[in-house]
Amino acid sequence: MRAEELKSHILPILLAGTRRESSDRLMALGASRENAVLNALSLAGQSLRFTRPPIPSQLAVESWPRDERRIVPDPLRPLLFRLLDRSTDNTARAVALALDSRKLRLHPFDLPKLDGFARRYSELLGATAQYWVRRETPARAARGYFEADELTDETWSEGELRARVKFLKALRKREPEGARTLLEKSWPRENPESRLQLLATIETSLSLEDRPFLESIQKDRAPRVRSIAQRLVAILSGTSGDHPAIRACMERLEKTQSGLFKKKTRLKLELPATVKEHETNRWIEEKFSEVSLDGLASGCEMPVAGLLEAAEEDENLLFALALISSREGRVDLLGAITDLLPDAWARMSTLNWENGLERGLDERADWARALVKPGRWLPEVPFPAWSWLHRQMEGPLPEKIMSEILDSRVWKEPIEAGKTGGSELVQVICALCPRELRERVRADLAPVEVERRDKGWMLLEILDTLEGLR
Amino acid sequence: MAPISLEKIEAIAPDQASLVAARKLVKPAGWSGVAGDDAGLIWGECQGSGSSPYRVVVSEADAGYQCTCPSRKFPCKHSLALMWMRAEGKIPFGLAPSPAWVLDWVRRRRPSASAASVKEEAASEPRSLARAATEPAEPIDAKAEARALAARERSRQEREEAVLAGLEDLDRWLLDQIDAGLAGFAAHAGKSCRSIAQRLVDRKAPGLASRLDSLPSRIYSLPEHLRSTVALEQLGQLHLLAEAYRRQESLGAGLRADVRREVGWTQSRESLLTEEGALCAAGDWRVVGALSEVQPDRLRRLETWLWRESPGEGPEVAVLLDFIPVASGQTRGAYRTGERMTATLAFYPSARPMRALIKEVKVPAALDEGLLGPSRRDLSGTLAEYEEALSHIPWTHTWPMRFDKARVRRTGESLFLCSRDDGRVALPLLGTQTERIRPLLALEEIDGFGLWDGYWFRLCLAQTPLGRWVSE
Repeated sequence: MRAEELKSHILPILLAGTRRESSDRLMALGASRENAVLNALSLAGQSLRFTRPPIPSQLAVESWPRDERRIVPDPLRPLLFRLLDRSTDNTARAVALALDSRKLRLHPFDLPKLDGFARRYSELLGATAQYWVRRETPARAARGYFEADELTDETWSEGELRARVKFLKALRKREPEGARTLLEKSWPRENPESRLQLLATIETSLSLEDRPFLESIQKDRAPRVRSIAQRLVAILSGTSGDHPAIRACMERLEKTQSGLFKKKTRLKLELPATVKEHETNRWIEEKFSEVSLDGLASGCEMPVAGLLEAAEEDENLLFALALISSREGRVDLLGAITDLLPDAWARMSTLNWENGLERGLDERADWARALVKPGRWLPEVPFPAWSWLHRQMEGPLPEKIMSEILDSRVWKEPIEAGKTGGSELVQVICALCPRELRERVRADLAPVEVERRDKGWMLLEILDTLEGLR
Repeated sequence: MAPISLEKIEAIAPDQASLVAARKLVKPAGWSGVAGDDAGLIWGECQGSGSSPYRVVVSEADAGYQCTCPSRKFPCKHSLALMWMRAEGKIPFGLAPSPAWVLDWVRRRRPSASAASVKEEAASEPRSLARAATEPAEPIDAKAEARALAARERSRQEREEAVLAGLEDLDRWLLDQIDAGLAGFAAHAGKSCRSIAQRLVDRKAPGLASRLDSLPSRIYSLPEHLRSTVALEQLGQLHLLAEAYRRQESLGAGLRADVRREVGWTQSRESLLTEEGALCAAGDWRVVGALSEVQPDRLRRLETWLWRESPGEGPEVAVLLDFIPVASGQTRGAYRTGERMTATLAFYPSARPMRALIKEVKVPAALDEGLLGPSRRDLSGTLAEYEEALSHIPWTHTWPMRFDKARVRRTGESLFLCSRDDGRVALPLLGTQTERIRPLLALEEIDGFGLWDGYWFRLCLAQTPLGRWVSE
């Protein structure tokens, strides 16, 4: 019996059952019924085994993007696996930033193993990683894959949001009108989060030319977008003090005069009775999120510098001013505030508050110098605040600040011999450490137990290697 | 003997934490009796938290190790630390005769090695006729030996009868399944296979029992529309095996050995390694695949697939099999894909010899970044080899395929290994590998090695323009 006959005649019988079967073809395969049935089973089964798997009628064409970045050198690949396996987010971010600054990319074969890392930091890892993390995105919803510095007027809407914000802000500084025109064109296709972040770039080089656009989006579906648009219009019309957000803040500010000979104006922020102590920072953040320094000063009928003087006895108001001046990049004022409120950055770290994605390295360094003053204050509960600081910095701290931190007991005590834990702190300090101080950190860590220093040490080694690549 | 390398230690460490823990032990303090011999064995005693020190021994030839500590990690930090000290070379390993506990491990582990070692030891002792005359010769009890031999033969006969009775049981069970119709077999495969497998264990045919035990999971790993035909194929193979066993006297020696092994008869490692005339192949062997799978009997099956890259006589592909209890916690074997070693392998007799043991290692396994030697076969050619093997050993389960000029392609979420030139072959790739293999979609051509079981292709290693891809 031929294989085809076995498949066409015997196979259906075996599948359906042979209890009542007495087909001649089947019975011809053995001397007895039992023998014939078992032989049929073996023959049919074996004939099936020679059937080759069918070739799919259509095979998809994969179009992986062009990626000009160099692949990480082979010797670093196993080190990266080891480092990124159960490391802190700071360590992973430091690696991603280093890869981005050296224009390196992960080896494509490593993407499955480092999927979590690639997903979190795809925008820093190049086009291949972006393609990888969006592999499940339907083709129609997928954007292009561009480096932030590769974006042009034509391609800017295709990039990652972070890159687009950066591009638009830079363009806004050079050509405010051109940047606004680009934004106007893409506005209807943007989602609320994109609209929010892209609109914030309009504040750079804000002018009356922007007013028609800002007025056209006063009825945006997203409340936060509406609020920003209203605030910007208010600034343009010189009525920022009339902004609803400022009016709401003013209702919470108590203005008094004090002093016998020279009267001084005092401002006090009255918190609602329903706001508990642990909710204070969040309430302040929300209340002042749409308020500018100029607007607040105007509402209080005093100059911006006067605000600080008036608020110096109220830590909550100082914190509100720290948030606003941080957001507006007023590092001079921020520095003055942190002289009075040195733990401002620890309070900021309890919020989801972000410093602003589009700031340059120099701006971040100035901001850190204004905010972090190790000689005056360092956090008692170290890790979350440090971690937040690294997230905001997206790079190392200025050398002077880090040097002071390394001299402080906040660093020296946790790495003392005999103590346990501290691996997370070591990692974040290594991530924040500028290149010039790495040897010093290594010297500090040398006597520390291996399991406490291992990840941080490895991070420094990898950063050194990456930065040394030509 | 080349010392074990740091890369090798890194590769076999179960995790980063073990390396960190081992690093702390890489210092002479805490160790005593650190020594080695010229055959690649090193040993030492490490003071741990227990009352007595842990005894650690490592074979540099194949990175084998043993430690008396209760750790559930393999290798444990003590074994890693001993290797590490050796690799760094900062601590001297004095030459010394192997202590009894080391010899005992070697003897239990690989009789050939222990025999060689013991022989060497004997050779190093001064020969003395006078001593031989004074030493009492062990008396040989001829009667006891004869009784033992007869008992062994009786036991073998009894087992033969039990197996034949088990095959009758199997036939009846198969007929019941076919009578009921195999279209519905998958629905009750688990319970049904379990009961006949237990009977076959009682009938001393554990090989067949194991096949039946793993059948349900194999069926359920396939799409529903394939399950009934696959069940039919697998049950058909069982009947072929049963028939072949009954007629084993008419089969060639190799095929007879295959049949008996499939049914459950085993040949000990000792007898293979000491067997005169056992098929051996020497050369440079590349580790092209390493698998670790848990069997239904709670044993972990470790497969190490080797490809001979140097010309020579004998098989080109070999597989080393190890079985370890799942409870031991060990999940990986001693070899990593991509490593290369120079060794002589002894093959179990078979119509297509493939399962082997390492008889002698000349150059221990070490990672080698060199390219795979060319196979001179495309995917169509290797598939044809599989079909030829199937015609010789119909119950062949997994077939190794070393191929050139293939590429990975996708349809929907399924990946296929396709022949590059003629497009006449597209082997579905194992679903569990999809994510790992996906980056290969970007490449136009790959060479490599994998395992084909008739339904799924498991890619183990690929040589690509972007470097080596391995499934581990």
